[in-house]
Amino acid sequence: MYPLKTAFSSLGRNAMMTIASVITISCCLFLFGVFLLVTFNINYISDQISEKCELQAFISEWSSSVGEERILKEISALPNVDSAEFESKEDAFRNAREMSEEMAEALDNMDGEQIFRASVKVTLKDLALADETAAQMAAVKGVAKVNNRRDIILKVVSVTNVIRIGSFIAMLILLLTAIFIIRNTIELSVLSREEEIHIMKFVGATDGFIRGPFVIEGVTVGVIGAMVAIIIIAFGYSALTAQADGMREVAALYSFSEVAIPLVAGVLLLGIIMGGIGSRAAVKRHLKV
Amino acid sequence: MIEFRDVTVIYDNDIVGLEDASFTIEDGEFVFLVGKTGAGKSSAIKLLTGEIKPYAGEVIINGVTVNTLRPKKLPYLRRSVGVVFQDFRLLPNKTVYENVAFAMEVVRANKKEIRRKVPTILSLVGLSGRAQNYPNELSGGEQQRVCIARALVNSPAIVVADEPTGNLDVETADEIMKLLMEINRMGTTIVMVTHSEKIVNDAHRRVIQLESGVVVRDELEGGYNLNVPS
Repeated sequence: MYPLKTAFSSLGRNAMMTIASVITISCCLFLFGVFLLVTFNINYISDQISEKCELQAFISEWSSSVGEERILKEISALPNVDSAEFESKEDAFRNAREMSEEMAEALDNMDGEQIFRASVKVTLKDLALADETAAQMAAVKGVAKVNNRRDIILKVVSVTNVIRIGSFIAMLILLLTAIFIIRNTIELSVLSREEEIHIMKFVGATDGFIRGPFVIEGVTVGVIGAMVAIIIIAFGYSALTAQADGMREVAALYSFSEVAIPLVAGVLLLGIIMGGIGSRAAVKRHLKV
Repeated sequence: MIEFRDVTVIYDNDIVGLEDASFTIEDGEFVFLVGKTGAGKSSAIKLLTGEIKPYAGEVIINGVTVNTLRPKKLPYLRRSVGVVFQDFRLLPNKTVYENVAFAMEVVRANKKEIRRKVPTILSLVGLSGRAQNYPNELSGGEQQRVCIARALVNSPAIVVADEPTGNLDVETADEIMKLLMEINRMGTTIVMVTHSEKIVNDAHRRVIQLESGVVVRDELEGGYNLNVPS
């Protein structure tokens, strides 16, 4: 009871400082949450792109339906092929038309069906072996050309890696900043109660007992800051995903409900941990009596 | 019982606080620590309250060797040593009752025990009628009584009083001394640092005199005279 009573009366006594700290911590945790979402989505998009890393074998004009079936069978049997799907020239035309109204209009104007060819779309087991597999596909009788987008994919993957590392470093800096802010806030509280701490030490209070209210103060600041950050992120991210829905064909973002649990747990846990570490650091040197 | 066995205290700046100081204080004794400024009295007090550890020798309080005491155990030792400060060190935003109860709360005493014990202690130090007053509403003597009540409330075996009458006039100082004598009569060991010749000479109690960190006199019913070490 004593630690709780003391902690909350101290938070109230230093109300302005508490509010300032909560706002600053919210900003830090908000940015942390944003970087966390960037990392989540980078991983997600990278996976989607890797999945989309397909080789496409275009079939010669003269191939009969029997030939097309044989080509599909032979390609499916290649060792690095994960899945192979046949796309007729009519399907290819229809898919292209469905991409956008402008595209449909343009295709209709130019009698577009004639420019499409039937193809076999292949996803790979191992991206590193894409060149080899492309060569094997090109060697199949009736295949006119093989499209290999491996280089683009590898570039995307390397860019996402850079973003991932950048996010990690930014998150680390934000965490240290937040700990420093909490430490300073709690230190003010410690200084205003220095005499009390001194007396507590002399009458035989344990360090844990003395530390208790300050840790509760720090954790409270961390938790409130985390909750504010989570609310802002929830609204902001939901708005962003609604806007980005049109890009779903290229790469989809996680919906908020999909990331809510790890995001809320992560930001809240960090608020608690930072509050704990910051307040412990603030009170530490004042316990040496 | 308090035992100092060849105790030497050396501070970080190489200043010697105590040098080979040895004495034993039995349970229930009243002992004055006297000496000029820098003689080593504060070092002795700091050893008793666990603020410092000896550089050499041993300090044993109620069977506990302070030298080897783990920091986690120090609070428990401090519960057996009450401290009375010259400047009272009362919490200004707490009433007399709360200041005394605070010493019990922080050692996790239960509320029933606090409600029972605090009024008894306040009565002992003659402050029953002042329980709801704040420190700034009290005289110096009354503030020192609160400080004594706070030191006593956890029933320590030893009370260390660091110049408890230093900030008080002669009359009030006499009252505080009477109170400390009374507490001593009830069985509490009292170690008191003082610069007051009158108090030491009137009390006829044991006097340990320190000079440059060395025990130069240890008399059972000694006087204050610092110039003639025996």
